[in-house]
Amino acid sequence: MTRKTLARLAALSGAAALAAVAAAVGSAAPARDSAAAPLKIGISLSLSGDFSDPGKFAQQGYKLWANTVNAKGGILGRKVQLIIQDDASSPTQAATNYQNFITKDKVDLVFGPFSTLLSAPSAAVANRYGYAFIEPAGGGPAVFDQKLHNVFFTQPAPIVESGDVFAKWLLSLPKSQRPKTAAYPALDDPFSSPIADRMRGILEKAGVKTVYKTIYPSETVDMTPIVSKIASANPDVVIGGTQSGDGYSIVKAMVQAKFSPKFLFLSNGPNSPGEFPSKVGAKNVNGIFSASDWFPQAKTPGNPAFVKAFIKAYGGNAGSIDPGSAEAYAVGQVVSSLASRIHSVDNKKIIAALHKGTWPTVEGTLHWNAIGEPQGQDLLMEWIGGQLYPVLPKSVAVKAPFFPKPAWGK
Amino acid sequence: MHEVVQAIILGVLVGGIYALMASGLTLVFGIMKVINVAQGALVILAAYLSYALFSHLHIDPFLSILIVTPAMFVLGVAVQLVFVRSLRGPDGSELSLLVTWALALGIEGVLSVIFKTNFRVTSPSYGDNSWSILGYQISEVRLFAFASSAVLLLLLSLLLTRTRFGRAVRATVQNPTAATLLGVDANRVQTLSFGLGVSMAAAAGAVYGVIYPFNPGSHYDLISRLLSIVVLGGLGSLGGAVFAALGMGVIEALVAVEISPVWSSFSFFVVLIAFLLVRPQGIFGVRERVL
Repeated sequence: MTRKTLARLAALSGAAALAAVAAAVGSAAPARDSAAAPLKIGISLSLSGDFSDPGKFAQQGYKLWANTVNAKGGILGRKVQLIIQDDASSPTQAATNYQNFITKDKVDLVFGPFSTLLSAPSAAVANRYGYAFIEPAGGGPAVFDQKLHNVFFTQPAPIVESGDVFAKWLLSLPKSQRPKTAAYPALDDPFSSPIADRMRGILEKAGVKTVYKTIYPSETVDMTPIVSKIASANPDVVIGGTQSGDGYSIVKAMVQAKFSPKFLFLSNGPNSPGEFPSKVGAKNVNGIFSASDWFPQAKTPGNPAFVKAFIKAYGGNAGSIDPGSAEAYAVGQVVSSLASRIHSVDNKKIIAALHKGTWPTVEGTLHWNAIGEPQGQDLLMEWIGGQLYPVLPKSVAVKAPFFPKPAWGK
Repeated sequence: MHEVVQAIILGVLVGGIYALMASGLTLVFGIMKVINVAQGALVILAAYLSYALFSHLHIDPFLSILIVTPAMFVLGVAVQLVFVRSLRGPDGSELSLLVTWALALGIEGVLSVIFKTNFRVTSPSYGDNSWSILGYQISEVRLFAFASSAVLLLLLSLLLTRTRFGRAVRATVQNPTAATLLGVDANRVQTLSFGLGVSMAAAAGAVYGVIYPFNPGSHYDLISRLLSIVVLGGLGSLGGAVFAALGMGVIEALVAVEISPVWSSFSFFVVLIAFLLVRPQGIFGVRERVL
């Protein structure tokens, strides 16, 4: 055999192998040159700056989903490739990142960043280019007030409604046990005060008297004056529209003021099982209510597998998984479902499809209205016996709500 | 009336801690005309040090003042030698703003990397205790914090008035040229005073972490308050800083209780501006003579 024929044979067998591969891929996806090209997904995340911790939780969820689907052959035969850019927790940088993903990197899809602040401008950029904006963390009014049709928020309910379950539960109690007076301290923040305002609307309508309400600016470090005012008004229920730091301060100030209301609900802070006991003292947590969208033991679609895979990938235990990772994973789950239902990653088709039907995720089975607000309800969480449990809605509750709140230290 | 008295108690207790933080700032300005905008970041750094000592070695946060303060004194001396000393000349003060601001951002960055951006609180076992006196609630840790601040401020004032070093410092504040002519080693005084200023921030930071949740970004809010305090008190005046800090604490607490927390920080700035219109040199400040 001459060298020439050897080369020819090699070329032939190479071509045959290529043809075979092309045929194999072609059966999974329409025969196109790009069939085996990776499915590029652009995600701006806060890997530095104020939101760097929650940003990293979201990153873990996204990466876990990508690795899970890639191990099973990817989406529509294409490997998922996440293009993650840091936005330093800046809304302007996030919007720029999405602009670049779409115009420079030519990504197939975009997934949302962390928080309402960054999601609102980013969703508008995606909308301009006709991209679907499936997002895990932008659930505040600033996102939905834009009335965009490309937004799909992967939590059970909009953030502003996260206290509704608690307000409605209070009103469902027998009249003798129902609170008669309420106080509403709330942080001046698009995430926080709207929750307390909405709950106040529900309770006032049902005759619960407001004895104190206030909005404090985010630079308020000292909650003791506010709490001393609440304590002197002595309400049955205190409803705080809080983020984490101010939520911890309110509880600490209440303990020091020796004021323990019959019911205490804080929209954020107590819902962080890893942080809250160490911030306010493990003996002071019992009977405090909060809202959440996810918990590790939930029987939601794919959740046990998610929890198992998460622990395998990142270590720790089920209790140390932040809901932020589950929210991001849910975004991926929606895309997996889309692939099997519409066999396409075309953004126009995705937007049309997501406005119909229900979508199973670890956050629950989701469906959205025209502007991307999920139509379910959040979980009511309560600290009982030093542990955080979902207590409502009944379909997912692990324990029944426990009340009245015991004294501090009990 | 009960609310008002309670608010005044809270305000005085908080004001004491701010007085300690501001004392370092005003001291350094008085001697070097350096506005150390890293003072807030140094307070937070000390809060983290004390937090780390408490959570890993179970050292009581108030006891940790004895460790954190000397350690930060050394850091302060090093910062002065490396970054601040070389800033001389007519625009030294302006340059010091930039250099210390860079230092603040650097400290914030390092803390974010090591401790993450989550809020932390140093929670000793007695952290939740409070005494009820005539129906008023007085938090144990706040009273300890106030008492420690008062003791440290007293020590600082004794150091400045009763020692040879103190006399050198006061001489340098009043007239650096004359002080040098009389044999005061200005370089030494400046370096040690900067260290002293930072160690006041350190002591305040250790107690700050017991009272408030903090994260690496907490210094922005702190420095704006501290600057207002030293301006109101009169730049370079220790007594003025103490007086202004207590005033700020009481005004903020009263407004938060009687009007709304939204107006509480704002009201202090209104008082500040109104006061400066009448007395631009601050409460205890002296008008500088221009030769």
